[in-house]
Parts: sequence; C-alpha cells; structure tokens
Amino acid sequence: MDFWVLGQYAVNILFLAGIYGCVGLGFSLVYGVMNIINLAHGSLIMMGAYTTFWLFTSYGIDPFLSIPLSAVLFFMIGYFIQGAIINRVMKTGIFMIMILTYGIEIILVNLALYLWKANYRSVAPAYSGNILELGSITIPYLKLAILAATVLITVCVYLFINKTKTGMAIQATSLNRYSAQLVGIDIHRIYNITYGVSTALAATAGALIASVYPIFPSMEGPFLGKAFVIAVLGGLGNMAGALVGGLGLAVAETVGSLVFGASYQNVTAFAVFVIILVLRPYGLVGKRFFAEISS
Amino acid sequence: MRNNLAAVGIWVAVLFLVLTTLPLILSGYWLKILTNIIMFAVLAQSCNIISGYTGYPALGNVVFFGLGAYSTAILMNRIGAPFPLALLAAGLISGLYAAVLGLPILKTKGHYFVMATLGVNEATRELVNNLDFLTGGGIGMSLPIPDRSIQSFYILIYFTMLVILVSCTLLVHFVSRSPFGFALRAIRANEQAAGVMGINTTLCKTGAWVASAFFTGLAGGVYAYWLTYIESQVVFSIIIGVKFFVILLLGGAGTVFGPLLGAFMFQIIDQFIWGAFPEFHLGVLGLLMIMVVIFVPNGLLRLFETRIWFPAKGLFQALGVMGTRAGRSEKG
Repeated sequence: MDFWVLGQYAVNILFLAGIYGCVGLGFSLVYGVMNIINLAHGSLIMMGAYTTFWLFTSYGIDPFLSIPLSAVLFFMIGYFIQGAIINRVMKTGIFMIMILTYGIEIILVNLALYLWKANYRSVAPAYSGNILELGSITIPYLKLAILAATVLITVCVYLFINKTKTGMAIQATSLNRYSAQLVGIDIHRIYNITYGVSTALAATAGALIASVYPIFPSMEGPFLGKAFVIAVLGGLGNMAGALVGGLGLAVAETVGSLVFGASYQNVTAFAVFVIILVLRPYGLVGKRFFAEISS
Repeated sequence: MRNNLAAVGIWVAVLFLVLTTLPLILSGYWLKILTNIIMFAVLAQSCNIISGYTGYPALGNVVFFGLGAYSTAILMNRIGAPFPLALLAAGLISGLYAAVLGLPILKTKGHYFVMATLGVNEATRELVNNLDFLTGGGIGMSLPIPDRSIQSFYILIYFTMLVILVSCTLLVHFVSRSPFGFALRAIRANEQAAGVMGINTTLCKTGAWVASAFFTGLAGGVYAYWLTYIESQVVFSIIIGVKFFVILLLGGAGTVFGPLLGAFMFQIIDQFIWGAFPEFHLGVLGLLMIMVVIFVPNGLLRLFETRIWFPAKGLFQALGVMGTRAGRSEKG
C-alpha cells in the first residue's frame, strides 16, 4: 500500500471521526450529567436529519446554515422532553428510564414514518460534487466543511461547559447532584438544559449526516449503536473522550473493513466495543473509577 | 395456609383446563394471538430470572432468541435433524453461548451490562448476516414445511410453547424458594455483601443467565419452526427485546406470575392498537411504554396486591373482627 492510498484512508478516517464525535458528544453529555442511557438519541439524530431535509427542500436553506435553526428548535424540544417526562422518573432505576427513552424513540420513528414515509431521502447542495485534489488524494469540500463544523461545535460546547455559569453548574451536578443542590443549583433546570443541549447536538449531527448520507426513518438504530460504541470507547460520560471514541470507532471500522472485508466493519466495531467494555470499562482515555457507576 | 394451597390448586386446574381446550375451539387467527401471548410470556419469564430476580437488566437477551431460531433452522435444514432434537440443541447452544459470554460480561454492572448485552446482540446479528454459507445471509432462511394439516401443526406449536412456558414458570417458582433463588436476590440487593456472605456470585449469575438463555433459545426455535421463515433483522430485532422487557415491567419483575399477566395484557392491548391505529401503531406502543413507567412502575401484580387485594383482605378481617365482637357483646 503506497503513501497516497494511506493518505486517502487517513483523510476518510478523520472525516468519519468528525461525524462520529458529534454523534457521541450529546450521548455522553447526558450520561455524564444525569447517569441515564438515552435510547432516544438515535431518533433525535434522525429527526435532526429530517429537519435539515425539510428546510432544504421546502425553503432551500443550506444544510450548514440550517444547523443554528434546528439546534435552537431541538434545544426547546429536548428541554420540554426532560422537563415534562424524564424528570418524573429520575429517581427510579435504570430499567425504567431506559424503557421510557425507548418509548420516546419509537414515537419519534413513527412520527418520521408518518410525515416522510419510509423512502430514502437525500440532501444534495449544489457544491456537493466539488473536490479538492492533493496529489492523488481527493477531498470533497463538503467533507472539509463537516470537519470544520465539528471542530467549531466542539469548541463551542467546551466553552459553554467550562466558561459559563450554567456550564459550571452542569459540571457540579455531574460530580455530585446532592452537593450541587446544597449550593443552590436547581438540578431539575440543569437536567432540562443538559438534555436540551444534548438534543441540539443530536440535531447538529443529524444535519451533518444528512448532507453526505441518505436518510431514512430506521437510521436511528445504527446511529444509536454507534453512539454506544463511541461513548464506551471514550469512557461513558467523558466529553473529551467522545471525540477520542469517535476517532477510535472510525479507525476500527476502516481497519475492520480493510482486514476482514467491507461487510465485517460492524462486527469489528461491536467486537471492539464488547472487549473495551469488559477490559477497560472506563474507556480508552478515562481514569479508573472515574466514570464507573455502581449500578 | 392449606386453604391458600387449595385455592391455588383450583386456579391452576381451571387455567390448565382453559389453556388446553381453547386451541381446539379457537379459529386460526385467535390461536395465533394466543400462541404469541404464550411466546412472549416465555420470553418475559426467562428474562425475569436474570433481570427480575438477579437484577441484571439484560436488554440484549433477544440475542438468544435469534440464536435459538437460527440454530433450529440450520440443524433442520443443513443436517436434517428432526424438530424436537433441533429444538433441544438450540436451547443448549443458547445456554452455552450465555455461559461462555457470561463469564466476562457479567463482571460489568448496571449500564455497562446493558450496553454489553446490546453490543453482543448487534455483533451476533452482523456475524449471522455475514456467514452466508451457513445462514443464507441477508436473504434469510426457510425451514422445511411440516407434512401435516395446518390446523394440527398450529395446535402442535401451541402446545410446544405451552409446555415450555409451564416448565419455565415451574423453574422460576421453585428457584424463587430455593437457596439458589435467595442467592440471586441477595446479589440483586447487594452483590458485594452477597459475596462476603459466601455466595459464589459469578457462578450464580452465570447459572441464572444460562437458564434464561436456554428458555429464550427454545422459544426462538419454536418461533422459527412456526413461521418457517426467519431473517436476522427480525429475530435479532431489539424491538422484541424491549417488548419483553416492557411486559416484564408491566406484569411485575421478580414475581412468578407477573410475566404471564404482563404478556396477556400487553398482547391484548397490542392487538387492539393494531386494529384501531394501524398508522400509529409504533407511536401508541411508545406512549404505552411511557405510561407504564410513569404510572405502574412496580407492575400490575403488585399494584393489584397493594390497591385491591390487601385492602380487601384488611376490610374482610376488620369485618370479621367486628362480627366476633358483636357476637361477644351479645353473649355478654
């Protein structure tokens, strides 16, 4: 394998890592702060993708420009879902919350099936065919834009979590919800905001996915699975880890399809996932005992 | 106590009589629904062993369902094994799979365990999809069509499911009263403490999961023979896994008869939803799941106990006490 082919693979991995990082970020945020596995994340990504599709076909809004719009819309939806439904059962066990979020998931899938039917749809902006050529490596501008968008979003989330008062409150709640209450943080409001941010991130990931991949209602399953793998590779609840996890999944899938054949890429990804889960449950970059929750 | 035993005996006898005569009377459609109810009762009951009693939320348990279905199909198709033998082998293969996987996976807890079981399910499904020469890959697999009349075939399937359900329920009943059952509940309450008390937690957990996998695999095998066609997207579908979990919650996890009640209620409601809102079937199902979690988090059986049975018993006793007092005062 010569240098240029390797370069092409590296570029593809980087691009995949960008999208996967975005998928995992919201999922990890919710787990880290509220300690719940949000099974609705896949369908929120799917709805985000359809929102982009809808804005693009009905109003001709560019997928990248639609991100702020759908992010605000989905923030409100997420705030409402957490406030009206999930907060009611926050004190019950993990069984309950998982079933609850799965209920939300299939409601959203049904909604998408009803509104847009089961057909494959795609968003193709006019510039999607343009390519940047470096030697014999080809890079579509679209993928470069996606990578840039991912970096921008990550920086924004980082600043929000670390530099704003609300972000600090989210961190405090994530560390210890009772102590957070003692210093006057309204943890239910923080939960609402966290879920809203996570939903907005899902919508963003959906918008990015819609601009390169075909979209359909049952895409939620595969992307939920990917969110799992990414979150576990990076360490559950570890936000910086989500990006590492995205990279890890991209590498695992690409290497898996190179070594065993393209149809084995998912097998490889999930095998790596189970092995990591058993051997390093705190993730590739996490510290021991940091993200381990005793049931 | 003896009174109680007699009452239970009568109930069981009535139930048995109803369940054995019903398939001979019912039309094909209702027989299918009844078989479906029993199948989901088996799935929920076997999930009950690991999730209800041991407290390990095995959301990905559907992997054994798919594995059982595929094992039966492969054994009958490629080797030409007779159905009972293939079915038994399917159960054993599922159990073995659980034993091998259980040793590493049951070390994880809580959320990690849930994700690990889901990961195992996804990985197994992808693997089955890729082993074309054995499983037919994405095309799916058809089983040999039985050489008997359709009605008698469906009745045979019904009784096979019923036998599996009865043996599974009996197992849960006896396990829940045995030292093994106490060990499982101790693990659910506090695993470390259970270990300190001298319970071999790894062995108990793995045993519970193997039993759970065995019955789930049997149900999968019967399902495959019943439909005579399986594909990996259906038998490994996570929606089946979530369904029997909801049934378990609806009926009451960690009770012997909860899963049976839950399966009955859930399938009846499910049928009704299919009939009334075909377009919104999934959505209404989701709404139902949310409502179960918010309004009956402890299951119907416990709700019935706390809201109806105990008050009624209390009222009955209170009346009895009043009656005896009235009698005494008359005497006095």
